[in-house]
Amino acid sequence: MRILSKLLLAFALAFPVSSHGALTVFACEPEWAALSEAIAPEAKVYTATTARQDPHHIQARPGLISKMRKADIVVCSGAELEIGWLPVLQMKSANPKVQTGDKGLFFAADQVETIGKLEKVDPTMGDVHPEGNPHLHLDPYRVEKVTRALAERMAELDPGNRDQYKANAKKFSERWEANIERWEKVAAPLKGKNLVTYHSNFDYLLEWLGVNVVGDLEPKPGLPPSSRHLASLLELSKKTSIDAIIFASYQDKKGADWLSQRAGVPAKELPMTIGGSEQSVDLISLYDDLIQKLLKVTGSPDNS
Amino acid sequence: MPEVNSPVISTDFHPQPTLATACKKATRKRWACRRMAEALILVAASATANAEGFSPNFSLILDGHYKSADSALSEYDKGFGLGHTELGVSAGIDDLFYGKFTGVVHEHDGKTEFETEEAFIQTLALPGGLSVRAGRFLSDIGYLNGQHAHTDSFVERPAAYRAMLGSHYYDDGVRLSYVMPTDTFWTIGTEAFSGEKMQAADLTDPKSVGVYTAFTKIGGDFNEEHSWQLGLSYLRNDNGANISSHDHEHENHEDHGHEEDEGHNHSHDARFTGKNTYIADAVWKWAPDGNYKYRSLTLTGEYLQTRDLSDTIEANEKNEGFYLSSVYQMTPQWAVGARYGEFKGYEAHGDHFDEKNLQETELMVSWSYSHFSTVRLQYTHQTGDGFENTNNNIVTLQYVMSLGAHDAHTF
Repeated sequence: MRILSKLLLAFALAFPVSSHGALTVFACEPEWAALSEAIAPEAKVYTATTARQDPHHIQARPGLISKMRKADIVVCSGAELEIGWLPVLQMKSANPKVQTGDKGLFFAADQVETIGKLEKVDPTMGDVHPEGNPHLHLDPYRVEKVTRALAERMAELDPGNRDQYKANAKKFSERWEANIERWEKVAAPLKGKNLVTYHSNFDYLLEWLGVNVVGDLEPKPGLPPSSRHLASLLELSKKTSIDAIIFASYQDKKGADWLSQRAGVPAKELPMTIGGSEQSVDLISLYDDLIQKLLKVTGSPDNS
Repeated sequence: MPEVNSPVISTDFHPQPTLATACKKATRKRWACRRMAEALILVAASATANAEGFSPNFSLILDGHYKSADSALSEYDKGFGLGHTELGVSAGIDDLFYGKFTGVVHEHDGKTEFETEEAFIQTLALPGGLSVRAGRFLSDIGYLNGQHAHTDSFVERPAAYRAMLGSHYYDDGVRLSYVMPTDTFWTIGTEAFSGEKMQAADLTDPKSVGVYTAFTKIGGDFNEEHSWQLGLSYLRNDNGANISSHDHEHENHEDHGHEEDEGHNHSHDARFTGKNTYIADAVWKWAPDGNYKYRSLTLTGEYLQTRDLSDTIEANEKNEGFYLSSVYQMTPQWAVGARYGEFKGYEAHGDHFDEKNLQETELMVSWSYSHFSTVRLQYTHQTGDGFENTNNNIVTLQYVMSLGAHDAHTF
């Protein structure tokens, strides 16, 4: 009897049944993991990528398949950001809850209007997404919309906790709105600044803050900076005033450094998402840090 | 226009396996090939016209090369040549099924051959972790076998794969697989196939379901930077053991002689078969911070062994081979790789076996301008006994490019 009960215990430990009601979330990027945790604090949340990894280039690793296998909901940016790996995970995990068209597959880009949508896409244009720019977690207004939609979706999947999800989303939104007001005040001096970026990573953020993008280190989306292209940016720096060069936490800084030295313009690494810098530990501190770094690198006065 | 669309698919696409066989016998049933090509064009055209509701992925792989010399166990001749020109169509069919078709065009002695490499359906909604695939598809044994050749890092598959699996083993059959609900990835699966591509050369009365496989893969992440996978596979081939008698021998010898005059094996049939095949594979990948955009290292190794080669010759000989491969991506666009592989196999001649062996060292450098285009330069060094065209030094310049759908790569 004792052996049997020990065996049963061992079995129960080996295959833990998820506690009643708590959702298991597979988040493609840290920002959606944070949002999921804000709405469903009880949920078991797994984050597939970090701020140091290019979300376009993730390996469909065995470790990710096993995590998706157990997910009740997969929360991703969408707009084809994860096209190179998510379909493989969906197929290989054989999880019937998270296939295309299922409620358990949540794309943030499906909840809002994306910017940079293209009528026609062909491969000569580089790594572009016809569904628009997927890096929408850096526009606070869109994040708010996504929060409401995600809470709604979680409530559909787990009706028992509907009220809790709705209440948490409301709480998050209230805090978020207060922060938007603060951010817009603090970031006001950034308006009209001219930046050279590396990929369209920060387009939502810069559009929101009224910052101009005058050049991109990539000759075409997805292609690394070529020396010819960098030389053309150097030419540009002579004609146009460039306040700073920015690149994301997962990007190589060589191109930015090259241009920075020759054009005499400061270059700065910005966190792509939570965990991309020491200061960015959650969504709010991510925005704080982004704005602080932008103010500093462009030499703008800090009003905070 | 779904009403135009669906009939085209259902009438012309239904008999794919038969079409493919018909296409091999090109003179007799050339119309079938033409019809297949027409069907593909029609589907492509109608799908573009009909954007809503039905949006399958189309992809076309263009693969060509120049090779400085003939080599042993190779599909490709010296000089300019085309590799696998692949046309793929895939989509979710409905909530329950996913479907994929891959047609391959080969050029062989001035004749164009169509072949259906994949035409399968897969379930999407079986209870957690279970899935069934049916039709024609790549067997999931070993590490490389389940992957498409155009995603490989070298011009051809390792010698052991070319000899024992016909480069990549795909066949008509069914697969059942299950992903365990564990934190560490663990999958098990089993397949049944017709086994036509794995038949011993002189078999007179083959079984209609000849090949059964069982496989398991375990994998995970050591941390953010390091990932691994181990696999074990078993393939039982009821039609794999050689049956030879002296009467047959003479005739067969001539056949073989003819084949060896050509110096290569264009068909995807495995030349070295047996009753029981075992495969062990291991993969380890590393990227700084787990960021595969800029730098990464992939180490792969596989060992293959086939026992019980003949029903009539009593001997303990076994076919075996292995390879070790290392590919280092230095920048987003450049990669270098080295692979060493060996194969040792036996061909039955009458009452005895002839040993053949091949050792192969390959060095490559590749440049990928975008996700869609790769140009590769490879140096191959072969030594060995018993194979035609074993060549010390071969240089191959290859391109592999894809048009259309963005490829999702497996680990």
